[in-house]
Amino acid sequence: MHRTRILDHAVLILGALFLTLPVVVAFMTSSHEAAAIHSKGLMLSPGGHFVDTYEKVLTRQGGFTGQVTGARMMMNSFILGVGFALGKIVLSMLAAYAIVYFRFRFATLAFWVIFTTLLLPLEVRIMPSYEVMSGLGLINTYTGLIVPLLASATGTFYFRQFFKSVPEELLEAARIDGAGPFKFFIDVLVPLSKTMIAAIFIIMFVYGWNQYLWPMLMTTDERFFTLMRGIKQILQVWIGSQIPDYNEAFALAVLAMLPPVLVVVVFQSWFIKGLTESDK
Amino acid sequence: MKRVQFSSPLLPYLFLAPQLAVIVIFFYWPSVRAIQSSFYLEDPFGFGSTFVGLDNYIGTLLNPEYLAIARFTAIFTALVTFFSLALGLLLAVKADAVIRGNATYKTLLISVYAIAPPVAGLIGMMFFDQHIGPFVKIAAFFGWEMKVGLSYFDTAFAMIVVAVWKQIPYNFIFFLSGLQGLPASVREAAAIDCRSSVKRFWTVIFPLLAPTAFFLLIINVTYALFDTFGVIDVMVKDKAANNPITLVYKVYMDGFRGNDIGGSSAQSVILMIVVFVLTVLQFRFIERRIHYT
Amino acid sequence: MIKQFSLAAVSIALTATSSLAATNISWWHGMAGRNGEVINEVAQKFNASQTACALTPVSKGTYEEALASGIAAFRSGEQPNILQVFDAGAATIINAKGAVVPAEDLIKEAGYEFDRNSFIEGVRYFYADSDGKFVGMPFNSSAPIMYINDEALKKAGVAAPKTWEEFEAAAPKLKEAGFIPLVQSQLTWQFTENFFSRNNIQFATNNNGYDSVADTQLKVTDPNLVMMFDKLKSWADQGYFAYYGAGWNDNQKPFEENKVALWIGSSGSFGGLQKTAQMPFSADFLPYWGSISGAGTNSFIGGAALFAMAGKPAEENKCVADFFQFLTSPEIQKFYHQATGYVAITTAAYELTKSEGYYDKTPVAEVGIKQLMLPAGEWSKGYRLGFYPQIREIMEREYGRIFSGETSVKDAFDTIEREGNELLARFAKTAG
Repeated sequence: MHRTRILDHAVLILGALFLTLPVVVAFMTSSHEAAAIHSKGLMLSPGGHFVDTYEKVLTRQGGFTGQVTGARMMMNSFILGVGFALGKIVLSMLAAYAIVYFRFRFATLAFWVIFTTLLLPLEVRIMPSYEVMSGLGLINTYTGLIVPLLASATGTFYFRQFFKSVPEELLEAARIDGAGPFKFFIDVLVPLSKTMIAAIFIIMFVYGWNQYLWPMLMTTDERFFTLMRGIKQILQVWIGSQIPDYNEAFALAVLAMLPPVLVVVVFQSWFIKGLTESDK
Repeated sequence: MKRVQFSSPLLPYLFLAPQLAVIVIFFYWPSVRAIQSSFYLEDPFGFGSTFVGLDNYIGTLLNPEYLAIARFTAIFTALVTFFSLALGLLLAVKADAVIRGNATYKTLLISVYAIAPPVAGLIGMMFFDQHIGPFVKIAAFFGWEMKVGLSYFDTAFAMIVVAVWKQIPYNFIFFLSGLQGLPASVREAAAIDCRSSVKRFWTVIFPLLAPTAFFLLIINVTYALFDTFGVIDVMVKDKAANNPITLVYKVYMDGFRGNDIGGSSAQSVILMIVVFVLTVLQFRFIERRIHYT
Repeated sequence: MIKQFSLAAVSIALTATSSLAATNISWWHGMAGRNGEVINEVAQKFNASQTACALTPVSKGTYEEALASGIAAFRSGEQPNILQVFDAGAATIINAKGAVVPAEDLIKEAGYEFDRNSFIEGVRYFYADSDGKFVGMPFNSSAPIMYINDEALKKAGVAAPKTWEEFEAAAPKLKEAGFIPLVQSQLTWQFTENFFSRNNIQFATNNNGYDSVADTQLKVTDPNLVMMFDKLKSWADQGYFAYYGAGWNDNQKPFEENKVALWIGSSGSFGGLQKTAQMPFSADFLPYWGSISGAGTNSFIGGAALFAMAGKPAEENKCVADFFQFLTSPEIQKFYHQATGYVAITTAAYELTKSEGYYDKTPVAEVGIKQLMLPAGEWSKGYRLGFYPQIREIMEREYGRIFSGETSVKDAFDTIEREGNELLARFAKTAG
């Protein structure tokens, strides 16, 4: 028993190292100077420019209007992340609930209409999507940024998988108690799905938070700049003529990691259940 | 489907309406436009176009370079899906099993998921840099002269490593939430029935995880096909040259960068059909073996 | 409903700019980092110089993303006044008749004089039509030049080569001195497109594609070009040339690290090199072949141009013309040249910069301009080829295969010509 525990820890430590080492490296690298990063590459030890680099990326007023600060970009990314994650959870839980728990005529059709959208990312149909948004007058709005990204069935699919594995007895019991569809959904299904919601929220928040191409196409107003755009702006320097400010890109990237980590920490209690917790 | 269900004439449609509306407007309508464009050769600004029938499809499918890209895409997808699922599952099972340090491991493993794609790509690129990459230096120590960007095989290797690295935390999160969702009574019963932990896992726990695994299988296949786009773009330094690329990168090169709307639409439609068939197959053949309750 | 939304958008746009009375014009570009900041500075200078127009630049990602955004916006009637388009995308926007107002017409309609000859030779034709009328306004321009590791040449006791023959003679000595004699950073731009210009050889039929899109065909199986790549390949085999793939920086790095004697880069590269090169360096023209008769002509520009999008009201077009006029003024050109490393595009700006002694301090900055000002040849004006980004990709693919040993030089060019011509024929149909 003891040997397996040690083995388990070894696997976890190796895995954590493999996955987190690049993040540590990004953090260390962000405290060096751009030219040094350019010629020496990634850094494993801290450099001497931690404070000034971070201060610069957070407060410098960039862009033409001077409204693009690190803080502003963070706020936009946050709105995009939270808006997208919430929208996704609401839409997909409702749809999955309908598909799994209701008997209705076009169920199979609805199923396939929704699940074929697992196929195609926004990037492939980005031009026509732009035309739709522009026709609706939603260019340069948060709605225009968020809603088109919701057109995919990943969330619905995931909740369907989960709902289907919820024991039948629960519904039977609920019906004996006289619960209707709304009561069953809110009193039984939602509390039961806590870990699932947390998982989806983390994934979707980060997805929205990390969007680049769509916001770039959709907005012409600098007030809508997101962090991803800020990072790409720094890196997208033609190497032939200049050195990108690698340190600032890494610093922004480290900042960009904080809110998702915060989300993880907040939802952690839903994730971490020891064996002590009693059975559901 | 459930044996016991609600039946209501209106409610299911009401619940489905928001999702369907978004999908129809932002998925089906643009997709129809893409299908339409695939039969034309079109000036991108919309001034001229020539109806060419199936020419765009024939030209694409008869091009040996396109077929070579398709072959690479298949291999790449299989390897990335397999390794990211296997490693994600391994870590989730271990993190679920240990008690001491449980929270630390989980936080660490989940939080790396949040690293920004351009930076993940940048880190990957710097790790595999021909001149200063640490990975390249390690490989040189073992007598492997890595030339990412010039050698087809080396670039493919680097792409797969980075793509897998990025996807493991995703799979970890879902496998973990799946494991946490299992009733403690089941685990206790399994522990009594079956002393060998490996056997216990594959006979009792894994079948219960199957719905999650099936979800992740489909998600990972689409990840490898589509979302690895950024990784590939960075690893080839935005010049595909003689490096391996995937089908969706080809769509991007021809459509977004080259403004060949007709040709790239035909490629998109071919991709849609391939992935559609794949999805149907997965739902039809694999899902049958899953027991949901 | 839709009207309300667009009104809201307009009012946002209005409040975003300083003056309510001014005519607002927009400029979408694909530049970032320091070059993006310089664009903002140029726009601020323009806005400060007059009150009638207010220009707002917007970064739209990369060149490709900027062009794609411009196209998507044009199709929805939301296009900017000015769109920056890169060299390889020139055919896409210029052949879309009706997408742009030619810069020259725009400037003349606004009542300004327009003198084509005030632009330096290598800049004059690339974004013009076959009659020489400026369609796009050249903006950020650069030329492929040769950077020289002074230490390496001194150690080997050789002079910087003017021709490839001289290079061949010097290469063994450079190798013996412990250096890789030659690297380059972009085989398509430096050893193909500008091979044709420097050696004055035809690149494609129909006057390099300027005259018509119909039946334009590549001439890349030209024996001289094949010879150039045969040489490169044999130099690579003998250790006189090293190729690190299509990535620009992978090839530049060994030069910075003082491992390479000669590097073909861009005229704008010196700014970065000054920070990273571990040794003193200088620069000279891109070599040509002394054995090719008529060779040694000027090269043409790389970079991007500004296009005035069609479908805009007259007063906005007037503002765009004002801005173009402002942009080509010697003072602004001088500022832009020195701030970014791109070349000055007018003779007046070059003279002004020179008279102030800038080139005495940074002689490297002058090399690109001088190369662009060399006498022009029949085939050194540029090219106008449809789907050119994809043709470049085919070249990059085949060149990579040459140096990884997957194909022969001859087969590579046969493939490029065949696939390239298929693309050109397809492009001709898009205009149909």
